[in-house]
Amino acid sequence: MLSKFNQKLTNLVIFLALLGLSISNLYPLFYMFMNSVKDRTDYYVNPFSVWGLKLTWENYLTMISQFKILNLFKNSFIISFFSIVLLLCIGIVASYAFAKLNFKGKNIIYLLVLATMFIPVQATILPLYMFFSKLHLVNTHWSVIFIYVGMFIPEVILLMTSGFRGIPDEMIEAAKLDGAGYFQVLRYVVVPMGRPAIILCIIFYFIVTWNDLFSPMILLQSMDKRTVMVALAALLSRYSGDPTFQFAGLVLASIPAILVYALFQRYIIKGISLGSTK
Amino acid sequence: MSGTKGIRLRKIKISEGVLSILPVIFILIFIRFYPMVMAIYRSFTNWNGLYRSDWIGLVNYIEIFTNSPFWKLLRNSLVLLLSVPLQLIIGILVAVLLYEEVRGWRFFRSIIYLPQIIAAITIGYLFRVAFSLDGPINIVLRDFGLNFLAIEWLGNTGTALFVLVFCLTWFSIGWMAIVILGGMSKISPEVFEAAKMDGANYWQRTFHVVIPMISRTIEYAIIMSMVWTLTSIFAFIYAITAGGPGYETSTIDYMIYTKFYQPGRPYGFASALAVILLIIILSITVVEMRITNKASEWE
Repeated sequence: MLSKFNQKLTNLVIFLALLGLSISNLYPLFYMFMNSVKDRTDYYVNPFSVWGLKLTWENYLTMISQFKILNLFKNSFIISFFSIVLLLCIGIVASYAFAKLNFKGKNIIYLLVLATMFIPVQATILPLYMFFSKLHLVNTHWSVIFIYVGMFIPEVILLMTSGFRGIPDEMIEAAKLDGAGYFQVLRYVVVPMGRPAIILCIIFYFIVTWNDLFSPMILLQSMDKRTVMVALAALLSRYSGDPTFQFAGLVLASIPAILVYALFQRYIIKGISLGSTK
Repeated sequence: MSGTKGIRLRKIKISEGVLSILPVIFILIFIRFYPMVMAIYRSFTNWNGLYRSDWIGLVNYIEIFTNSPFWKLLRNSLVLLLSVPLQLIIGILVAVLLYEEVRGWRFFRSIIYLPQIIAAITIGYLFRVAFSLDGPINIVLRDFGLNFLAIEWLGNTGTALFVLVFCLTWFSIGWMAIVILGGMSKISPEVFEAAKMDGANYWQRTFHVVIPMISRTIEYAIIMSMVWTLTSIFAFIYAITAGGPGYETSTIDYMIYTKFYQPGRPYGFASALAVILLIIILSITVVEMRITNKASEWE
């Protein structure tokens, strides 16, 4: 009886602790949203006010009409989309080889591929900038896409290889006996069976590439090529007098990643707990 | 007959494997390996990004160690690394709380991971606003009559670094908690039940059961978080302090960024900074693995 009461009390304490932590994570986002729909004077009177305000969407309209944030969204989407496509194409064939095929030096090459994870992008950015400028790729989306593929391919291979190892060899052998060639094995066995790892990579690297700042900031300086994060970084240092406008931009830029997370958070949480990288 | 067929099949298999990894080898050589080697080479030159690239030996390194804010950058990085133990401790506590699976734990789990989904620039800006002179933190402090605490947080080195540590910790708790929880899910529930039966309370369970059993996960989390703190917090610094005042809150990777835009383009110097960063990261990884291997030998 007493221990049951104790258990209930413990559960209540745990519940409250988790609730407190969740509020500390949600409140800043709420604060950002509330103030983005406020009048600037209302914001300076009391940034915490929630009730009895005249809400205005003007900041959002300015973001779209003057700041052209939709155009920036397009740039970010192009970069995320092609980075993911290339990561998947290169990642799936390589992970299939590392997980299911035998060749000389496989384990050493696998470790070397993973080891490149620890090369910081800052250590490579200057030579890369010069390399890309020789190829006339600076200020093109391809420069950032290639950097992302190079940066994230080891993590993608790590995730997919451990996913593909779970595919039974018999299924691949059976498909081969049925006359399936290399690409047919990939298409009809490896990709369907390895779906969880593939979906995780798509979601995870969409969020990561969408939010990244460093590489696009260096490589995309022209106004019409910038990603949404690069443009916002510039906005934060320019319009320092108008926080409500800046909040509106940050809210808009957060929406795609939050939406994807809301829809697929199960995959992400599972992937992180399996040991994908930070 | 069948023997030759076998050999031929094996031959095809070998080339399939090698062909499959060619794209990844190709991209890693061009995007990661070649630039890294170039950065190491350029660090011994007076490269300006164009045609000037004369061999000057260790001049850049001597310049960094004797006549640059390097030691300040290193101090800042060390201070920021304080957030790693904080994240780890809070992350473990949160993971143990989530493990109890009280009502709504799945919801809490997704909310606790949420900061990781928000762009660093956004979080950084929220912290900058929060800790600005007339920002929310100071408003609350003044409301409670703590006027003497309502200081210019981002204007002083100590408090600005504190805000950065706070921000990095807040950002990373969710990641830590989920990673630790993943490690805990591999412990069999019977172990917990047995500990509970033996009358172990929450703290005892945490320190005597959970932590020893997930030492590998903890090692992984520490390495990843340290490397992340040394290389991936550019956007946070940019949004919160822009490395200022002066170089007071800059880190090595932030300085590489500022050198990129500096007139005269001291890219040889910046490359030497990059090489030092690379060496720091590699040594952390190696030392950390050594320590954990030693620790597991003692167990």
